[in-house]
Amino acid sequence: MRSNQYSVKVYETTIEDEEEFILFFETNYMLFKDHLILIKGNLSQKIKEYLNSKSLSYLHNIDLPKGRSRKALEEELEIERSASAVSVQIAEAKLKRLSSRLQNNLTVLDTMIRSGREINIEGDLLLLNRVNSGATLNITGNLIIPNVVEGAVRCSGNFMMLTASPKANIIFHGVEVDNDLLKNKLNRVELKNNEIIITPVLKKEIVWA
Amino acid sequence: MGIVIAVISGKGGVGKTTATANLGLGIGLNNKKCVVVDFDIGQRNLDMILGLENRVVYDMVQVMDGEANLKQALIKSKASENLFFLAASQSKDKSVLESSKVEKLVVELKEDFDFIILDSPAGIESGFEHTIEFADAAIVVVNPEVSSIRDADRAIGILDSKSHKVKQGEEVAKYLIINRIVADMVESGEMLKSEDILDILDIKLLGKIPEDKGVIDASNQGKPVILDKKSIAGQAYMRIAGRLCGKQIDMKDIEMCDSGIFKKIVGMFR
Repeated sequence: MRSNQYSVKVYETTIEDEEEFILFFETNYMLFKDHLILIKGNLSQKIKEYLNSKSLSYLHNIDLPKGRSRKALEEELEIERSASAVSVQIAEAKLKRLSSRLQNNLTVLDTMIRSGREINIEGDLLLLNRVNSGATLNITGNLIIPNVVEGAVRCSGNFMMLTASPKANIIFHGVEVDNDLLKNKLNRVELKNNEIIITPVLKKEIVWA
Repeated sequence: MGIVIAVISGKGGVGKTTATANLGLGIGLNNKKCVVVDFDIGQRNLDMILGLENRVVYDMVQVMDGEANLKQALIKSKASENLFFLAASQSKDKSVLESSKVEKLVVELKEDFDFIILDSPAGIESGFEHTIEFADAAIVVVNPEVSSIRDADRAIGILDSKSHKVKQGEEVAKYLIINRIVADMVESGEMLKSEDILDILDIKLLGKIPEDKGVIDASNQGKPVILDKKSIAGQAYMRIAGRLCGKQIDMKDIEMCDSGIFKKIVGMFR
């Protein structure tokens, strides 16, 4: 197979008025005789005959591929790249949520949560101070409070570490945790196979020799 | 330049007004110039407890609105020439208070007095917020019972977020007075211990006041109990007033029954 490649000059025009079109080509024939004519609009029999008689090569209602500027191309690439970056981020976040979630965006607070305060945190919380009666904590991640809890605690993380809290209202993954089960100095509450398991962490007082 | 102290509690009926009257008088008896201002607009009581109800001509709202000047509205106490009183309006309600007017009044009082004690209304709405807004310190009055503690906790939370001083990055000093302690009940575990209360509220203890029947009678007669040298509550208020004036006074353990020798012997056989 043999193939050749040519660069041709193209003249693009739109037919609005038949007479005017023919007149225009009549006067400018010398200019267009080597061009490829690209015609848009209504191509009548009369014009077809005229163009054939002049042996002009033409195409009707065709979109030729047009070159784009480098800048436009770069912009297009950039949009594609950022879109893919967002999708990667979403995928990573999903993966994080699915994985064991042992740590997730930790917040450390050393303020006393007084009555009437409501704290909403996306991620983990380490709270070094008391939660007084009448206060509410909403935590999506894991929760560690090595101090007295008397308020309401809502946690939907992987685990909670709480001290003995006879007055608290503790809800873990939508299930109320019985205060009597949290009787040790420090208790670990976790979700395993859709079951809430409570294990004592500090059973005995450590006696340092 | 005086210090502005707001007396707050959250819950009503724990003894804010009684504490305000007695501390004001105690500070006056310690030879410091003191003014007590009743911020409980619409429900004024402080005038009765101080025994000044028939001396009220102009009230705080009239001063703030410019209808009377401060000198006309201040009432001198009968019991101490260092104590002055500014009455609340009984006919208006709490909505008449405005931050700018309250600030102007407080600044004006600060120039003339060593201590400005503001008696806050119960609850945590606008009247309370205006009382704490320009306070340098707060005295939290609680009873040893859970409802009072929780309300006080909430009030402290609001104090820590809405006070003018906190907004400027400073801290408002907070002191605790535990009122109406019954030693027998604390000992038997029916009443909260003050250590537990201090654990929950996490503020400095200013003093403890024992339950004393004389307080009600003293309020009814308009002679604050602090004037009664024999009253145990009066003595407790006197110690607190002394601490406020900078004296070093040790905490007296009023939670122990002053068991006589007979009780001690009985205790040995228990």
